[in-house]
This record gives sequence, structure tokens and C-alpha cells, in this order.
Amino acid sequence: MAMAMGADEGAEIAAARRLGFADLSPMVRSGYKGTGTLGWVRDQDQAVPEANNAALAWSDGTVIARLADTEVLLLGGFDGADAGHRGLAAAWAEARPEMCFPVPRADMNAEVLISGAQAPAMLAKLCAVDLRPRAFPDHGVAQTVLAGLDAVVLRADLGRTPAYRIVFDIASARYLWRCIDDAAMEFAGAPVGLAALRHLAAEIEG
Amino acid sequence: MKQMTCPLNGPRNISEFAYGGPVVAEPDPAACTDGEWTDSLFMDDNPAGRVREWWCHLPTATWFIAERDTVTDEILKTYPAAP
Amino acid sequence: MTDRLAAPAGLLIDRNKPVAFSFEGRDFTGFEGDTIASALTANSIRALSRSFKFHRPRGVLTMAGQDGNTLVHAGDSPDVLADRVRITPGLQVRALNTLGGLDRDLLGGLDRLARFLPAGFYYKAFFRPRPAWALWEPVLRRIAGLGRVGAPVSDTGCDKQYLHADVAVIGGGPAGLAAAAQAARAGAEVVLVDENPVLGGALTYRREASSDKAARAVEAADNVTVMTDTLCNGWFSDNWLALIRDRRMYKLRAKAVVVATGAIEQPAIFRNNDLPGIMLGGAAQRLIRHYGVRPGRRAVVLTANSEGYGVALDLGEAGVEVACVVDLREPAPDHEWAEAVHRRGIPVLAQAAVWAAESDRNRMRGVRAARVARITGRGTCGADVDRFACDLITMSCGYMPAAALACQAGARMVHDTEQPIYRVENLPDRMFLAGAVAGVYGSEAVVEDGRVAGHAAAADAGFRRRGRKPARRHEPESTGLCHPWPMFRHPKGKEFVDFDEDLQIKDIVGAVGEGYDHVELVKRFSTATMGPSQGRLSTLATVRIIAEATGADVAAVGVTTSRPPVIAESFAHLAGQRFEPVRLTPMHDRHRQAGAKMMVAGAWMRPAYYESETYESETQISAEARNVRDTVGLIDVSTLGGLEVRGPDAAEFLERMYTFAYAKQPVGRARYVLMCDRTGVIVDDGVACRLAEDWFYVTATSGGVDGVYRQMLWHNAQWRLGVDVTNVTAAYAGINIAGPKAREVLAPVCEDVDLAAAAFPYMGVREGRVGGFPARLLRVGFVGELGYEIHVPAPCGEALWDRLVEAGRGQGLRPFGVEAQRLLRLEKGHIIVGQDTDGLSHPIEADMAWAISRKKPYFVGGRAIAIRETKGLSRKLVGFEITDPAAPVPEECHLILRDSEITGRVTSVARSPVLGKVIGLAYVAPDQAEPGSVITIKVADGRRVPARVVEPPFYDPDGARQDM
Repeated sequence: MAMAMGADEGAEIAAARRLGFADLSPMVRSGYKGTGTLGWVRDQDQAVPEANNAALAWSDGTVIARLADTEVLLLGGFDGADAGHRGLAAAWAEARPEMCFPVPRADMNAEVLISGAQAPAMLAKLCAVDLRPRAFPDHGVAQTVLAGLDAVVLRADLGRTPAYRIVFDIASARYLWRCIDDAAMEFAGAPVGLAALRHLAAEIEG
Repeated sequence: MKQMTCPLNGPRNISEFAYGGPVVAEPDPAACTDGEWTDSLFMDDNPAGRVREWWCHLPTATWFIAERDTVTDEILKTYPAAP
Repeated sequence: MTDRLAAPAGLLIDRNKPVAFSFEGRDFTGFEGDTIASALTANSIRALSRSFKFHRPRGVLTMAGQDGNTLVHAGDSPDVLADRVRITPGLQVRALNTLGGLDRDLLGGLDRLARFLPAGFYYKAFFRPRPAWALWEPVLRRIAGLGRVGAPVSDTGCDKQYLHADVAVIGGGPAGLAAAAQAARAGAEVVLVDENPVLGGALTYRREASSDKAARAVEAADNVTVMTDTLCNGWFSDNWLALIRDRRMYKLRAKAVVVATGAIEQPAIFRNNDLPGIMLGGAAQRLIRHYGVRPGRRAVVLTANSEGYGVALDLGEAGVEVACVVDLREPAPDHEWAEAVHRRGIPVLAQAAVWAAESDRNRMRGVRAARVARITGRGTCGADVDRFACDLITMSCGYMPAAALACQAGARMVHDTEQPIYRVENLPDRMFLAGAVAGVYGSEAVVEDGRVAGHAAAADAGFRRRGRKPARRHEPESTGLCHPWPMFRHPKGKEFVDFDEDLQIKDIVGAVGEGYDHVELVKRFSTATMGPSQGRLSTLATVRIIAEATGADVAAVGVTTSRPPVIAESFAHLAGQRFEPVRLTPMHDRHRQAGAKMMVAGAWMRPAYYESETYESETQISAEARNVRDTVGLIDVSTLGGLEVRGPDAAEFLERMYTFAYAKQPVGRARYVLMCDRTGVIVDDGVACRLAEDWFYVTATSGGVDGVYRQMLWHNAQWRLGVDVTNVTAAYAGINIAGPKAREVLAPVCEDVDLAAAAFPYMGVREGRVGGFPARLLRVGFVGELGYEIHVPAPCGEALWDRLVEAGRGQGLRPFGVEAQRLLRLEKGHIIVGQDTDGLSHPIEADMAWAISRKKPYFVGGRAIAIRETKGLSRKLVGFEITDPAAPVPEECHLILRDSEITGRVTSVARSPVLGKVIGLAYVAPDQAEPGSVITIKVADGRRVPARVVEPPFYDPDGARQDM
């Protein structure tokens, strides 16, 4: 995954603050589904969000989103740690818990992150759900249609900068990238690398 | 555009949903006549007033039941199919 | 700019920025902020366009984008409103409905034939005899038809954006401003929409009004988003509002809506009331205050309310000589403006009307005099006529509420005969009216009405607690604003009721006389209210004339139905940008590099065939197919649907969903699946691979998988079996390697699966590693050769493709596309659901009774199939062949004929290179289905081609080749 798109890190950080988009598809991603899922994950001493369409972060940086009473989606943290994913996968392989099945999220989905103050305005051109910070809290999850694609939108602010992680059909990755590139043009949005995202994430919130 | 409230995802544009027909119990195939079975497939009551319908939130493939007034097209309530 | 006034007049223009543009080929200059109409008026141009039917010169009427008079062609856009669209440097503007230019229109004399062209004339004149219309149509279309579309437009740059608000306020006049401020105070997030460049509405152009304070208060509130220059053009369910600004359409969802769209001033109806220079009082005031333009030199002010006196005073101050004020009322009531008019010595003629207007000999100059007469009764005048020379007549005779949005939402216009005024009733939930649209006039009352509406809307949006409920302290002033009958029928006609359609009083009366006595029928027969202004200026007069002609009360006549859009909108706005997802397989780039001709298959792009410089496409497809039969081929089947069906009840679930039997299917085996709907109609097929006792990997058709997945979940929402279904279509790349050498090519890259026929037989399923990637291998035979379908995680697809291509180097391996695959499967007689089946096909008639398990108690569609079986077949899917090499090749959907009776149709057909004949599948009558029967196919040119019914498969009937 690209750490930086070019040599000018300052410009990239500025873009990420205004409107940046990054391809997070290579990051670790997993999921479990079935009526036994929530109980089994909790049994592994891992926190599960109290409500559907909400997310929380584990101590290793893994973000777990509860998509339904029967499904969770796990996204990687920005520091690249994947202990949460690996731990859960190993536990699953060993236990084969009843009515809890892995979902090949890494294979079936692509992931894009959209960051910056203009991200909500840009997303309003692609998605009918109100994703503005006042209506869509940090760690909120929306399962909806974005640019004609089914997508999971997860708000995951980077420090003080609003950011959204969008998980969607991997076969449509080029299509959505083109849509985002086009929609971002009026805000002078630009692709950014992981380094810029980490820089923003390290900024103190508030 | 009309809105509908998905029991899982909340209010969404109706374009995120698909209609799945009226909620009717399938007759017992072992006990009913051919005529009764055919009626259950092709004959809908189509009442004026409150009806119970299957709807699916497409992005999540969530099936649920909506109660709708066929006279006013008002969606009265929605709830999961689970008992 | 001879008619430009000195500052401070001209709120919207910037005098420091001249803008050069052209009109009808002549160069003009205006200022930035000028509309086409204001800039031309400033240059003393009166006629802007010509009318639709009679080609009469027309000029400024409303200056508010409410009329069709000033439609012009500007730049690339046909039919733009000259009083709304602003001039830009170099803009080229042309008049509409002219043949040879605005000032010497060859059809300018059409109105002299007006008495031969009454409403509905073309129904009678041009349709008898019937073929006559074909001759007349092009002539009439040339005469009428508004602007011409012809500019080469590709990407319009139009797009869309979603917006959200607690409270949407439509209209930024005094009522809307008050409503927005009040709702914002209550804590609601407000979007305030106004079609004008600045907020304030009537406050920005009416006499002694100022919008500054109210507008500033709203603009300062941080929970109010102000959208000026924005047209709210439609209301849709659940307060979904279509807003248009520049090239973008906004879709605003609001919890509550305040409609504060004001009222539309109505013209008076008298002879020649459409001449350039005759305009509404509000239009004259807009020209003066908004654009600093003097609307004329000498005016006659026609009025029925005090507003008209304000207009007279404004005109006087703008340097227009006011010849007289003509007041329809008797006596004219007291008002400070009326007194001021008296003090200035302007003659006031009470209980009088403009009986007719007189055109200048140069019709481009419009009106040259008003003929004023005393009113003797409703709509009648005395014979004594005074002539007042003038180049401007203003009209201030009343209003209609601008209630289009409310009416679209289900509200009704109800006539209040007392006032007389239309009121809006039956408002839907979460919609509120404020100000003139609600029939509330008077500056204080309007503001109070706005506050009340804003408060109520915020409460409906969930903001109840904050802010005290606003009070009403002032009585609304609506009495006396609207004259009950400002219409004067003239013996010579030309009193225009509907300017868009050139309809006169007699046209409406005539329509009623023809028997169209309901307002909706009059509309459709006469086309009244159907033009670009959508009845905003003609509904009131039309309804009054109908009432008089039918002897009914105005209230009983009703008004026509209001539908979106409010103002004509462009298709480009509706279309926006396209969001049509395109799905690419992991091997997409490899196909392009190999010269694949890509085709669209649902949302997917797939290689149809691989192009070569040497062959035509058909030869290419044959060669690809031949290569599979002779050596080995490779096809990307990643688009195939994939479903994981897991859980203790997985087998039972498949038993119910599909027609075949799965309970006893061994692990490591694949089995055909055929899905029917509840009525027994085939909806999908694929294979179910049993990976474990409680785990099936089920394939589905590329186009069908989403529907199959949804149906499975729907059924299990009722059955509640212990099973989970996951759609993993995109998670797997699929490659089918097929041909006699498939095993040979695959073996070296397949590390841990024994490919030997005995160890891995036909319809076997194995998990292992291929090319180093974790894979599921299926021995299936869609194309009828020894073959393996390899499913690997999507991110490994491209690398696996490369490994297989590499492994096949020197072995004759080449990729093949969808076209070759279709040919190969046809040779094997395999159906494609959706091509060889339709919305009625059931398994028996599709000759797939073999795929139905008779032993299980239930499956979806089972009972329906059983019932259909008792009724006998009405058609049957059969194979056919055409051995005559000279016969034309039929196409899909060509008909099967028995004498003149249609008994079926071709569903698949191709010339098989390996068999040397044309083969196909077709539905035929049951008694034609016996092998050996001869059927007749009617091909495109009408020839009838005999074909022989044969039992599929056409190729390798014993399946020896796929079983190797």
C-alpha cells in the first residue's frame, strides 16, 4: 500500500485535511457471520459494539463494526497491526464455533478512506444518507448505496480530521475510484498515502 | 422520493428497498387441493386499507415486514420478520 | 443604455462591470447582474421574442421568470427565460418563433388569420382526411415549436447532490425570512431557498420596503444555510425537494417544509394586452429597483389596489411620465400612496379600465396608446373611449398564490369568493405556508405569519422546547388586493388569456361551447395553462371565463392539477451524472492485453472473444471453440455467482431451495442445482459443492446470484433453519480450464490434489493449492470436455491466470471468450437460464424433469410443477439441426411455424464447426417434439427453413469426453 503519493508530504497532509482519498484495500480485513457470531466474539474476550451499525476500536487498533445481530466486520488499524484479526481467525479455526462463519472480507471487498473537512460535502454527491458529522457520529456505520454500489460506510476520524472508511465490492474498485476522483475535483481533493493519514491520526483530538 | 424505515438501518430512500409481496401463509402442501395451492400463488386479496408486506433492504439483504395503507400509501410501521 | 437609471437604483447590477452580448445579431452592452431582459430593456428594446402560435411580438411581462413571453435561445440553450438568465460576455441571444428574424418574421402576419385558427383548430383542420396530418405536421412543427435543439451537446457537466435539513424554507421574502429565523432560533437546521440572487423577495423591489435587516439576521445564523439563485422545482413524497442551482440538482430531504413562495401578480385581460410594453406592476418595479432600468417613457397605470399607486409613484421617480392611473374600483379607497398620486397631479380615472391597447405601426416598439373606458358592468365598458398615448401600461389587479409546491404535495386551491382570492387548503403533514402564498398580506402580518410557520415547522422537526410561541398581533390585509373581474371582452378579440398558447377569451368560451365544460377538459382541448408558464398567469382568468360560460360559481370550477416541475427544467439536470457500476474480474487487464473484445454482461465486463489480426470475429469464435475441443482452453468464469451455505441445516435448506436431492450428496461431490420460483418457473441454476457435512459452496448465474441470495434469505426468514448464507461472488476468481489436455496442463501447477480420473472423477470437488494459491477445484463440464473449474481468492486471480497460461505454453492452450463458451455448451445441449428459459418456463417443458427429485416432500415450486404436469404441456424445448449448408442460419427468437400458426421460437442457435451443421434449441408444440419431426423456422427475410428435431446433446452424447 502506498505510504505516500509523491515526495511532498506536507502537501499530502494538507490534502488529507481538506479532502484526501486513499486505497486501503491491501489492509487486513475480516468478518464473521451467523447467529452464533456475537456471542462467540464476546467469548474471546473481545468487545462487540452494543448496537447494530456501530463500531469500536480494540486495543490493538482493529476496528470492529457490528453490521447486524448476526454479523461483524473487522478492519485493520493504521499502524498495520493485525493481531486482533489473526487471533480471532486462529481461535475460529480451532473451535469451529456453531453458527459462526468467516466472511472472506479481504477477498470480496475493497476499501477506500476519504478524509478531510470537505469529505462530507463530497460524499453528499455520491450517497443519500446524511454523513455530516452532526448527523453521523464517529464510529457510526451506514450500510447503504454509494454511487450505485452497496457499501458499508464507517466514520473513523483521524485525530481532529473527519474520515470515512468505505468497504465495498472489490470488482467495482476501479469504478468507484473514478467516481470519487470525479466528485473530489471541485474540492481539489487528491489521493493520499498512508503516511499522511497516520500523521493526522496522531494529532490530538479536540 | 418516499422514505421507509428499515428495522436494521433506519429511514432510507425507498430506492434502497425491494418489495417482496404480501405476507401470506403458504397452505400445507400435503393437505390442500391443487385449487387452494393455485389460489395461494396467484390470488391476492388486494384490500383497500392496511396490508402487511415483505420488504427487503437491498444493501444488507434484510427482509422485514411493513404495514402500509394501500389507500394513502402511508407506511404505518416496519418490524423484523423474526417472532 | 439609454434607459438605464442612475444609482442607487439597480440592486443586482454592478455598474463597474459592463458585459457585451448580442441579440438577434446586434451588439449590446449591459452590466454584470443584468438578465437578458433587463439589459435589452435598458437598451430600449421592447420586443424580445414572438409568440408560439400567432408569432406576435412579445416583451417583458413579469421580470420574475414566471411567463413564457421572454423565452429566447441563448448560447447553446434553447428556451431560456430572458428575465431569469443573466448575460455573460459574448452571449448570443436570439428570439424564438420567428422565420427570418424577430423584426421581419415572415409569419408575423399569422395573427390576422387568428379567426381561422381557434383553439383546437388542428384537430379539425388537419386530420381530415386522416392521411392529411402527415402532410401538415412538418409545416406546423416548423411554424410552432419554440426553440431548436441542435447544438452538439455531450457532457453537460450537470450533476446532483443530496442535502438534508430539519426545516426547509422555500422563498426568501419577508415571510420566508421570518420563518427561517424562527425555526433556527428553535434550534433547527434550516435550509432557506430562494430563486433570486438576493434574499428579500418583494422587499427588494416594492415601494418603501427594505429587506436588509431581516436578511442579515438570517444570513448571520450559523444553523441556516442560504441558497440563493436556487429554484425549488418539485415536491416529492416525504418532503423530498428538487432544487436546481446552476448545473447541479440538489435533492433536499427536510423533516418539515415552509412554503413561502409568495403570490404571482395576474395580468388584466383586454384587447392587445400582450403588446410589448404592457407588463405587471411588479415587473416595472423590478426593472427599476433590481436593475436600474426605466421600463418606459410614458405610462398608463392600470390598478385595482393600492400597489398600483405605489407603482405610479415609483415610475414618476424613475423619470417616467405617468399619463394617468386607471382604477378598476369605485371609489378608489383612501391610501397614502393614492393621496401622493393626487398631490403630484397625476389624473386618476376611477371605475375605468384599459379597454384596448394600440400597437405602434412598428410592431417591435409595442404599445403606443391605451384606450380607456368607463366600466359599466362586470367585464363591460361604455362606448366613450379616451386615448392616452403611452409606451408602457402596468397592471396591478390581483394575485394568485404561488402554491405549485403545496399543490404537488396534495394541497387544494379553494376560491374565497368574499375577498376574492384563492386560498390553499388541505396541506399535508409537515408542510406549512407563510405569507402571500397563504393569502396573508401586509408587512407586519406577513412577518408574524412567517414566525408562526417557522415555529410550527421546527416543532414538527422535533425542536419543541426552545423559543416562545410567536403571536399574531396584526390582521392580514388581503381585502381589496384582487379585483374580481379584470377582464374585458372586445368585439374584435385579441384579449389574451393565455399568452403561451395565444388563447383569447373566445377560445375558452368556445371550448365550453364544444362541450368541454370541466376545467381539466377545457385545458386539454384549448391547451390553456399547458404552456411554459403552466397556468401561473392564466389559470385564474381561464377559471373565471369557464365559470361565466357554464353559469357556475368560480369556486365550483376548481383549478387544474399541479405537477412537478414548477418551471421547465432541462433533461441534463434530471440526468445528472451516471452512476452505473462496472464490475471487472481480477483478470481484466490480462484480457485486454490479450486483445479481448469485451462485452457487457449485466454489471460485468467479460471477454466476448480474443481479437486477432488474421480472422474475422466469427472465425475467431470458431477457432477458440475448436481449440477447446482439440487441445485445451482457458476461460475466466469469475463472474459466476458464489454462495456459501453453512450450518447444520445446510443440506435441508438446499433440499427446499432447489429441485434436486442434496441430503445424501457426499462430501467432495458437486451436484447440479435448478431453482424455481413458487410458481414452478425456472429462475436460476448452478452447482452445489459439498465441502463438509454442514457446508455447501453453491454457484449461481452471474446475473441471477443477487436475486438467488435474496430469495434464499426471504425463505429462511420464514423457515428459520440453522443455516447461514453468504454471497461470496466477488471473493473468488474463477478459471475454467477445459479440453483433452486440461489435466496435462494443470498437473504441474497443482501441488496437492491428485488429478487422476479415479481419484478425482467427473463432478468431484477438491480443495488444495493451485499455483501456490488456496483453491477449490470443481470437475464440471459446461463445455463438455475434460475440465476443471478453479476458484481462488480474487486477489490471486491474475497471478493464477498467468501461471496457467505459462503452464500451457507449447501445449496449444489459448484463452476463449463467452461467445465460444456459448457455442460449446450449445453443442452439449446445456441451457442458459434466461436465454433458453423465459418468465413461464418450467422444468418439464424445458426437458429437465431429470433434475427434479420426486422423493422429497417439499421444494420451492414443487407443488406448482406437479400441478402443471397434470395439465399437460403446451410447449417443449427441443434440439434441432439444419443440415443443408445453403440454408440461411436462423437467429434467436425466430418463429417456429406450422402453416400460419406460431408454435414456438428459437432460443439458441449457432453453426457448429465441429459438427459441420447448424444446431439450436427451440420451443415447439408438444406434438412436434419427437426426435425426427421436421419443424419450420421463419427467418428474418421471411424465408422458411426446415429443421429436424434431434435429441441433445448434439456432441458427445455419452459424455465420454468430459468423463475422461
